[in-house]
Amino acid sequence: MKVLIVEDNRELSSGIADYLTGEKYICEPAYDFETASEKLALFTYDCILVDIMLPDGNGLELLKQIRRDDIRSGILIISAKDALDDKVKGLDEGADDYVIKPFHMSELHARLRAIYRRKKLEGPSNLVSFNEIELNTDTVEAKVNQQVLDVTRKEFDLLLYFIVNKNRVLSKQAIAAHLWGDYTDNLANFDFVYQHVKNLRKKISTAEGTDYIETVYGLGYKFNTSKQ
Amino acid sequence: MKLINKITIWFLGVILLVTPVTMFISRNNIKKHLDQAEISRMTAVNDHVYKQLLAGGKPDHYTHGRPIEVSLYQGEMPQQKVQVRKENLAEDDMVKKECRISVDSYYPIGNQIYKISSYNFVLNSQEIFDGMLYTVAWKMLMMVLGVGLTARFLSRIILQPFYRAMKAIKHFDLKRGDSKLQLPHTTTKEFQELNAFLQKMTDKAAADYAAVKEFSENASHELQTPLAIVRSKLDLLSQTEIDDRQASLIGDMQSAIERLSHINRSLVLLTKLENQEYKTEEDIKFCTVTKQVMATYEDWIKMKDIRLRSNLDKNVSLQIHPVLAEILIGNLLSNAIRYNNTGGQIRIDLTRQWLRISNTGHPPDLPTADMFRRFKKGNQCNESTGLGLAIVKQICDVNDFSVTYQFEQGWHEVMVKFHQSESPTVADSGDNSREGQLAVSG
Repeated sequence: MKVLIVEDNRELSSGIADYLTGEKYICEPAYDFETASEKLALFTYDCILVDIMLPDGNGLELLKQIRRDDIRSGILIISAKDALDDKVKGLDEGADDYVIKPFHMSELHARLRAIYRRKKLEGPSNLVSFNEIELNTDTVEAKVNQQVLDVTRKEFDLLLYFIVNKNRVLSKQAIAAHLWGDYTDNLANFDFVYQHVKNLRKKISTAEGTDYIETVYGLGYKFNTSKQ
Repeated sequence: MKLINKITIWFLGVILLVTPVTMFISRNNIKKHLDQAEISRMTAVNDHVYKQLLAGGKPDHYTHGRPIEVSLYQGEMPQQKVQVRKENLAEDDMVKKECRISVDSYYPIGNQIYKISSYNFVLNSQEIFDGMLYTVAWKMLMMVLGVGLTARFLSRIILQPFYRAMKAIKHFDLKRGDSKLQLPHTTTKEFQELNAFLQKMTDKAAADYAAVKEFSENASHELQTPLAIVRSKLDLLSQTEIDDRQASLIGDMQSAIERLSHINRSLVLLTKLENQEYKTEEDIKFCTVTKQVMATYEDWIKMKDIRLRSNLDKNVSLQIHPVLAEILIGNLLSNAIRYNNTGGQIRIDLTRQWLRISNTGHPPDLPTADMFRRFKKGNQCNESTGLGLAIVKQICDVNDFSVTYQFEQGWHEVMVKFHQSESPTVADSGDNSREGQLAVSG
């Protein structure tokens, strides 16, 4: 997947690029409006990350250009403003989703992946699978070894999050934010995360799937694909 | 009282005061002139008679039919050659309305002094006055009507720029992006000054508002970006080869970042609430939002083994921004869960007038007064930023709700009353109820 990262802060941009390169994405940075506009005119990208506030322009203007030129990339807005009208405006202008700074890398990746799936840019769009685990994002159905798993919505989301970010350490905070959103105003319901992860692991094990999820002490969890 | 009514009353007052005075002056003047004219005429008549006497003619011919009397005067020549007498002869009804003026002229002819008297009746001043009164009454009536009508008519024209300026101010809203005050053109100097002043003031307010808004947005942006960098780098760091000790250090940092970003976001939200940025004209179904929020917290409630009872009225619609409604209920409910005992209870009641969320839990350990203040926490537990209830309070203030808290018989109870004026008074439960603070959540 080819991704254009339109973000004026070089460190954040390189952080995102680092993480996404690890997922075998090809990342190109654009640090200002001008460069981004040029790159969009010259190359095609599968996904575009757009920061709203740029030194020489507004990210929303970039969205207008993308729409005008009929560029069919997935668009994810990165915004520090959570002013509501920005969100609405961004989505009106054709963005597919948004994340608010500061975001977790795993969250950004999951959203990017979801956009990619929705845009039907890869394979059967509603299926995410890994070895014996198969997830259908349309029907919210999880299968292990072709056997339907009785999981709650949250557990499904959790498993999807793990598989999308496989072999990554996911902090408890990132998982909590993913499952319950930011607005809930709960600081890290770690017991909560623990409970859900525990239930999920139990259900996968019961279906005789491999217990890929391992605990990273003090930090969070990891979906370890090399586990047998 | 309307400005135009005030002006009218003042005008009428002046008319009422001035008219009697002018009437008095006119009456005196008229009377004086009438008398004077009569006196001059009679003096001339007397002179004429004298001249005829001198010429030796008989004045009979001239004085015939006229009230002229010629007689010999015994005594010294009076100092004044012409003497005027005014008499009111009251005995006769006809004469009552008039007064008699007699002019006596003395002429020395040879050794003798002749006295020639003539008299005439003139109108009494009372009569003049009566005659004037009728006119004046009409005059005043017409002036009152004239002033009243003209004032009303003119006020539409002259005061129109003023009324339009007032209307413009009434509809002026800083929150609108295009908040430029449109004032009507006027040729009146005072209104021109007023308009210029209003224009200047609203422009200043708009500029200030924009600056504050910009600052709050910039502050959030400037803080969120470094936070995003730290978080991204921590995420990357945790993907590297790390041992348990390093993992736990990174975990602690993640918690701190989480906390920091929550505090920042909450403060920005508070600023925006203060700026009245979340104005809405639409009604939302508050009951539906409540149900949604309850569903969000379902897991947590289950995990703490809390029994939740809810009694929600249907079709509770309120004019509040949907996001604010979510935050309001979310903060209250998460507090009710966080500060609950395991196996405790939560009650949620929603009516058209109020929302009440009560929960069991330890008695509060901070005074009630501090409860809704920022960064006040019951216990310094890590899960809280101390801004949750401050946000609740601010949301209530913005939407004209009132929020109260009390602790009674082991129950914490937060009551949000919508539309304070309409809500029925809820009796303060018990004098001996222990009021205190529900620890503020973040």
